[in-house]
Amino acid sequence: MIFEIGRIAVKIAGRDAGKKCVVIDILDNNLVLIDGQTRRRKCSIVHLEPLDKVIKIKKNASNKDVVSALKKEGIECKEKAAKEKKEKSERPKKQKKKKPEKEPKKSKAAKKKEKEPKKGSEEKKAAKKDTKDKKEPKKSKEKKAETKGKPASN
Amino acid sequence: MPKPGHRSRSLRRVFVRTPGGESRLHYRKKKPAKARCGSCGAVLKGVASERPYKMQNMPRSRKKPQRPYGGMLCSRCMRTVIIEKERV
Repeated sequence: MIFEIGRIAVKIAGRDAGKKCVVIDILDNNLVLIDGQTRRRKCSIVHLEPLDKVIKIKKNASNKDVVSALKKEGIECKEKAAKEKKEKSERPKKQKKKKPEKEPKKSKAAKKKEKEPKKGSEEKKAAKKDTKDKKEPKKSKEKKAETKGKPASN
Repeated sequence: MPKPGHRSRSLRRVFVRTPGGESRLHYRKKKPAKARCGSCGAVLKGVASERPYKMQNMPRSRKKPQRPYGGMLCSRCMRTVIIEKERV
């Protein structure tokens, strides 16, 4: 097989076309895992042009090893920064914290607290509605007054 | 009869469906020619051919393919070019 582990190749297709890479792993009859100047990804054999060089590299070698091995051959490529998994770890923690907080509140407060805020909220809502109702007609009256006043003056 | 200025084919004709359900004939400016491959002459896919005012507002990735020689060569010719470079 031409595409053994450690074979240097050029990508011929896609946005990484023209960039050099090393075969790290053989996944299938047609699929290989590559890394180097290209992104680390699986790739079809049809999209690779093999070169005559083969390096010694372990199966599934890390990106650092690949970069250092390619430098010896005179192929420069950037190291890819490892992905930080901070976001993933934070999100589930927040959700877990919220759930236990709600449950003890209900048990401690019993029925009294549940009733009180509801009443208060209802009263507030009612008060808001009143204010809204009051405000709107006032404005409309004022506008009407203005509209009435204008033609009279004119 | 259309008016004399519209009897020539210097404007392209577009049928537009009106809100009332009718189809009316509209006259618009012609689109520029489609891009072709520099070596084999095939029509390039994925390259927009619009009037400049539309091309201005288009994102870069919709104007041409994001690979070396994108918008200049077709993908087959690009492959042969890259392979020839490596073999020499």
